[in-house]
Amino acid sequence: MTTEDQSHEADDIIICRDVHKWFGNFHALRGVTTSVRRGQVVVVIGPSGSGKSTFIRTINRLEYHQRGQIIVDGFEMTDDVRNIDAIRREVGMVFQSFNLFPHLTVMRNITLAPTKVRHVPIAEADAAALELLERVGIPEQADKYPGELSGGQQQRVAIARALAMQPKVMLFDEPTSALDPEMIKEVLDVMRELAASGMTMIVVSHEIGFAKEVADSILMFDEGKVIEERPTSEFFDHPREDRTKAFLSQILG
Amino acid sequence: MVAGQGTTPTPAPVLPPRSEVGAVGWARANLFSSWYNSLLTVIASAAVVLGLWFGLNWVVLDAEWGVIETIGGRFIIGGYNTDQACPGNDCFWRPQAALLMTTALLGMLWVVAGGVVGRIAMAVAAAAALCAFLPYSMERMGLDVRLLLLANLPALGVGWALARYTPVGKPRWVLVTGVSVFLLTVVLLRGIPGVWGLQPVPTLYWGGLTLNLLLAVAGIALSLPLGIALALGRRSDLPIVKLLCVAFIEIFRGVPLITLLFASQHLVPLAFPEAFPRNSLFSAGVVITLFSAAYMAENIRGGLQSLHPGQAEAARALGLAGWQTTLLISLPQAIRNVIPTIVGQFISLFKDTSLVYIIGMVDMVEIGRTFILGNPEYRISTKEVFIFIALVFWAFTYGMSYASRRLEQRLGVGTR
Repeated sequence: MTTEDQSHEADDIIICRDVHKWFGNFHALRGVTTSVRRGQVVVVIGPSGSGKSTFIRTINRLEYHQRGQIIVDGFEMTDDVRNIDAIRREVGMVFQSFNLFPHLTVMRNITLAPTKVRHVPIAEADAAALELLERVGIPEQADKYPGELSGGQQQRVAIARALAMQPKVMLFDEPTSALDPEMIKEVLDVMRELAASGMTMIVVSHEIGFAKEVADSILMFDEGKVIEERPTSEFFDHPREDRTKAFLSQILG
Repeated sequence: MVAGQGTTPTPAPVLPPRSEVGAVGWARANLFSSWYNSLLTVIASAAVVLGLWFGLNWVVLDAEWGVIETIGGRFIIGGYNTDQACPGNDCFWRPQAALLMTTALLGMLWVVAGGVVGRIAMAVAAAAALCAFLPYSMERMGLDVRLLLLANLPALGVGWALARYTPVGKPRWVLVTGVSVFLLTVVLLRGIPGVWGLQPVPTLYWGGLTLNLLLAVAGIALSLPLGIALALGRRSDLPIVKLLCVAFIEIFRGVPLITLLFASQHLVPLAFPEAFPRNSLFSAGVVITLFSAAYMAENIRGGLQSLHPGQAEAARALGLAGWQTTLLISLPQAIRNVIPTIVGQFISLFKDTSLVYIIGMVDMVEIGRTFILGNPEYRISTKEVFIFIALVFWAFTYGMSYASRRLEQRLGVGTR
């Protein structure tokens, strides 16, 4: 098994070729082919059940794919545990339900992976964690437990936790869907800043305003397939597919 | 608000109706909210008053507590220091020395864990020291015995100071010390052939509360890790491991402990090499541990199942390996969620240690029973004996419940 894929362009950090995924008999992904360039921000939209969450979860193998190829930063995603671990170290993920560790303080949530996986000395990890908390705007919450924070603050901690591993790619799985409206902005602001800093991001989201402003391109999912993939302004101004037009008219009202 | 600026008076806070606050309000809401609630309150109050009246009357006036005094130290160590077990009756210092080591260990734990452990450590040392002043004659309870009991206070201090001021206070070393104290206690009680002052005492004669506590401590300390391993094994992806764990759990949960205890004397020696002790005590300890571990495994598994799958996903997404996810994320949360059932299992194990009487061991309950059977003149005091035994068991189990509640508060279970 070759882990290095010679054919990929140096600029493409994620390459998916004909990716299929079944849950039992349900065909969730039906041949997804796409690629993401370094530094690009891609927003994935589509109706619920269209496979967009499953798609980004295959990228760090929280779901395994049964057919096709996924290559992240030159490593092909296979059953080889070393490859999986290597890729997971490079890919940060932010979940809809935050998934902070409730038994650890905010600080320990952030420093856990760097100290246990990358073996960063604790003092160094602590300093880095404080910097990240500054960056997401809540350094004063460092010693609290996740349950003592608001949803927006928890999601910002989750972003800091993912960033602490210094990933090359960040995946966001509906990061604002579980939040009250007044907290959505504080999370999107952090994501805007992150995009401006040059981070490669794949974002599953219904926040069209955010997509229009930040995304380089939009992936439209429907029934397990990418039905339209184009630069942001083209996508919203001149959608090609009827299904896309219908979806956009629904969510834009 | 700045003083002197108060041109607009702050509106007075609106108070709840008077009938809903204070003692009257509380009683009205909780005791007399409806006619049947009022009726229940009256009946229950009458029952409590009558029960207390007759109960106290009996405890203070009618009960013959002399029997407790007569049985005395045998409740604690059974037949350990009798002529058959220890010719010369000079083995009394060995359980005493074990108690001193335990108190010192509690002093160390006090420093490491703090809080409720400190209170428990002080209670144990104080109770032991108070026993030195029991109004027995000097012939029945000599000065040496009393001094050894009093020494528990300095022992607590020594343990505390060791942990506080030396590197022994690191949790790792306290754990090592704990295991050593347990093993030393067993060796000390058992004795070493040919060593002066340590003549062997067969385990047959170990008894009383000491026996209950030895079995309980060993059972608790071993069944928790074993239960965790079984729970993880049952959730394993490896079919053989899973099958073995399920089989173990179902077999040991499906058979009465009494049956296991009967079988233990014949089966346990088959399972262990010659080097292991061949006696009822060891067999009973093994069986009680395995029985409890089977239940413990299911408790822990319940805790693991209560976790949101997102927890393990988040850990894996961060790059933590599978074993790190289990050790650092899943298990701590799972155990935290099931502390009440784990402690319930500990309590039930402690009480079940009295079942060893069926294989001829003389635990505290059995001492009470055999004393009354052997001394018919005391038959009239049966109630007193068993109420006393119940109180002793209750004191220990209540200590465990209390510690568990404080632990839950400290870990913030249910609040975060």
